[in-house]
Amino acid sequence: MIQSSTSKSQKSPVKGAGLPSSATQKRRSLLNSDASRAVILQAFVLMLALFGLWFLFANASENLNRLGMTFGFDFLQVTAGFNISWSLIPYDPSMSYWRVFFVGIVNTLILSFCVIVVGTLIGTLVGILRLSENPLVSQLARWYVEIVRNVPLLIQIIFWFTVVFSTLPAPRESYHLGEWFFLNNRGLYVTTLQSAVSWGWVLALVAGLILLLYGLLRWSKPYYALSGSRSSGFYIGLVVWALLAGWVLWFFVNAMTLSVPSLQGFNFSGGAYLPASFGAAFVAMTVYRSAAIAETVRAGMQSIDRGQHEAAFTIGFSRVQSLRLILIPQAIRSIIPPMTNSWLTSVKDSSLAVAIGFPELVSVFMQTSMNQTGRAIEIIFMVMGFYIFISLLISYLLNKYNDSVQYKVR
Amino acid sequence: MDDLNVKNPPALKQFIPTPPRPPRQSKSGIFGTIRQRCFNSIGNSVLTLCVVAVLFYLVKHVLDWAVFNAVFIADNRRQCMDISPDGACWAGVISWFNGLIYGRFPVDEQWRVNVGVLLGLVWLLPLMSKRIPLRNVILLSWIGLYPFVGAYLFLGGRFGAELGWIHGVMTCLALAFLTIIYVNWILSALGKKGLNELFVPLVSRFVERRIHLLSFVAVWLLIALVMALVLNQVSLEPVAIERWGGLFLTFIIASFAITMAIPIGVVLALGRRSKLPVIHWLSMTVIELVRSVPLITVLFMAVTLLPIFLPADVEFNKLAQVLVAVCIFAGAYMAENIRGGLQAIPKGQYEAAATLGLGYLHTMALIILPQALRMMIPNIMTSFISLLKDTTLVSIIGLFDIMLMARNIANDKDWVGMHTEPLVMISVLFFLFCYSMSQYSLTLEKRLKVDR
Repeated sequence: MIQSSTSKSQKSPVKGAGLPSSATQKRRSLLNSDASRAVILQAFVLMLALFGLWFLFANASENLNRLGMTFGFDFLQVTAGFNISWSLIPYDPSMSYWRVFFVGIVNTLILSFCVIVVGTLIGTLVGILRLSENPLVSQLARWYVEIVRNVPLLIQIIFWFTVVFSTLPAPRESYHLGEWFFLNNRGLYVTTLQSAVSWGWVLALVAGLILLLYGLLRWSKPYYALSGSRSSGFYIGLVVWALLAGWVLWFFVNAMTLSVPSLQGFNFSGGAYLPASFGAAFVAMTVYRSAAIAETVRAGMQSIDRGQHEAAFTIGFSRVQSLRLILIPQAIRSIIPPMTNSWLTSVKDSSLAVAIGFPELVSVFMQTSMNQTGRAIEIIFMVMGFYIFISLLISYLLNKYNDSVQYKVR
Repeated sequence: MDDLNVKNPPALKQFIPTPPRPPRQSKSGIFGTIRQRCFNSIGNSVLTLCVVAVLFYLVKHVLDWAVFNAVFIADNRRQCMDISPDGACWAGVISWFNGLIYGRFPVDEQWRVNVGVLLGLVWLLPLMSKRIPLRNVILLSWIGLYPFVGAYLFLGGRFGAELGWIHGVMTCLALAFLTIIYVNWILSALGKKGLNELFVPLVSRFVERRIHLLSFVAVWLLIALVMALVLNQVSLEPVAIERWGGLFLTFIIASFAITMAIPIGVVLALGRRSKLPVIHWLSMTVIELVRSVPLITVLFMAVTLLPIFLPADVEFNKLAQVLVAVCIFAGAYMAENIRGGLQAIPKGQYEAAATLGLGYLHTMALIILPQALRMMIPNIMTSFISLLKDTTLVSIIGLFDIMLMARNIANDKDWVGMHTEPLVMISVLFFLFCYSMSQYSLTLEKRLKVDR
């Protein structure tokens, strides 16, 4: 770059009739130097971007004025007035749009969380089966992945909803597992625990117990590492811990009751209820995600050097041992980045459940609330903000984890 | 040495032959391979048997439903049910097949869609052969000129009237270009000079430089003029853009988006790799924001916000709004693909370009991008596949693509409640398209690897 500019400036006096005036020379060098060009270009792009934004917002304010609409987030305090078919947090139509927003967020997160957990488990299994020596098994896994991957997710969701979940029997003839689980065309009714004490206390107690056990293990670790056997203090601590745990368990058994769903009239009461749309979206997305994850797992496993397989075989490890101790710990490093992407995608994909009316964020907020309030800009801003926040959060957390797992290179 | 001096040497160990091992199991031949890989342990044998059982059960049920118990000829769903209650009713899908492919395009005009698609494919056909020179030019001409031919055929109207005279001129130029490609192909097969050399003797009398280019332009314009005279005689029935639908619309959206996504992606990717902070941060923000939201929200945004954010007198149809949204979305993803390609270019290429004295634009356009894009062809195919699958989302917005057409069959009074068969049908269609394309991109990837 610098060379070309100097060669040009050398040539120019030869080409020009006389000596160029110092002003033109200065102008020319200003246009030819990298530094000044960079400033000019950036200023130009910035101006263009700002002008674009100004243009859009000027239009928006004009159009809003013309249509008699206003901009602002005051509508969030207004009573929503419509019903949401299923919500994990308490909701009724007298609550505000804020509440609707949170109901949507919680439903989206619940759906994508379930999909991520189950999809990752199934996907890992299929990915490992795909590498099986048994050609029948590996081909079965391969065609599962190919078929699922090459059919659009939306078709699969609608297929599971209209073909499978909507054609289940009516509540009276529902499939049931004992007297605890009922599956019918309205959804899945499950038995739940009801606790006399608040769930916060229950969680705190359980977390405390786990923390105690962890502390005990941590405390006894140095002695174990040195001597190869546990100290007697450890066993005493374990007994105390077991007594404590038993007491907590006894307390829970007394404080909790089972809430069993039972058929009353045309519907079930008691227990918890998962709508058919949740089931369809969950199954379709899990299957789809598992195929994607199977591919990443397979690619990750195949990225390991063949020598590692052979070395594990030579030491005499069984296949399971070599997978658990040698192959998977190494594969994890190359699997994590695409796996993160896959999880992010499944959070985004959960928005497709809008097609079958599952009340997730896009459905309750971007469709119903937007139709009722007409506040398109604010609502789209909020919904996109949520997805962007989730993406940034997940990728930040997994980058942190990734850093700790990667090889430490000097 | 003292302790080794033993008085009584121990008795020699007696040689006891180990019993002979059984002969090795044969590992060759069909049975050997099967025994070796499917039945080499108890666990594996059980697994094999389980898989066989599952496969048998699956295949039997699917075949029973889809073939043996299926009904292919019936007038409505009730008849289907009467003939065979537990089989597929393909009669409904068959009677709606045209709708699935062409949407609500007028039946008498559907040949235009066929001709248009065929022309597009014929135009791209020379790309398959490695012996044809200037394939880049053919691809670029397709991107730049084919849309005009397509729009003329799909929208119709009197030539140069409804769509404007500029569009008419471009259509003629496009058709003329296509003619030149094919006439040249035939002429070269016959061992003669190309059609574009026709005026070389004439042109060389008047000018000295760029004889071949000028001759080509002259031939091109001449054929375009002939085309214009011919096309002026025909007038096609106008078809409203709202009547586009089915698989046809799905492909239009996906191909338009992927073609626009490449330039958008190149600009964004170059911007993201730029050393200038403003440009770097702007492109990064755009890419990351678009990539972190789901497509459906971008579609909703296009449908609801575009009318608000653009001047009141700009008129939009839904397809244009959706195309804008899908292009931005695909562009952001493409940018990340292309960035991968740019990063894979060795640093020596940049340095060599700098040594030659090439500036930024020349380095990128002549050295870096051709290599990066070439390497990215399989990835571009993959993004086209995912785009094709994502295009089904426009049915949520209310465009009559193949998905919405399939769902609408269940609302037809003759085929009320028929959900399964259309969904299975379009799943199979999508599977065939996407699977064959992914296999093709795999072979391309292998070929590119060999080429390097």
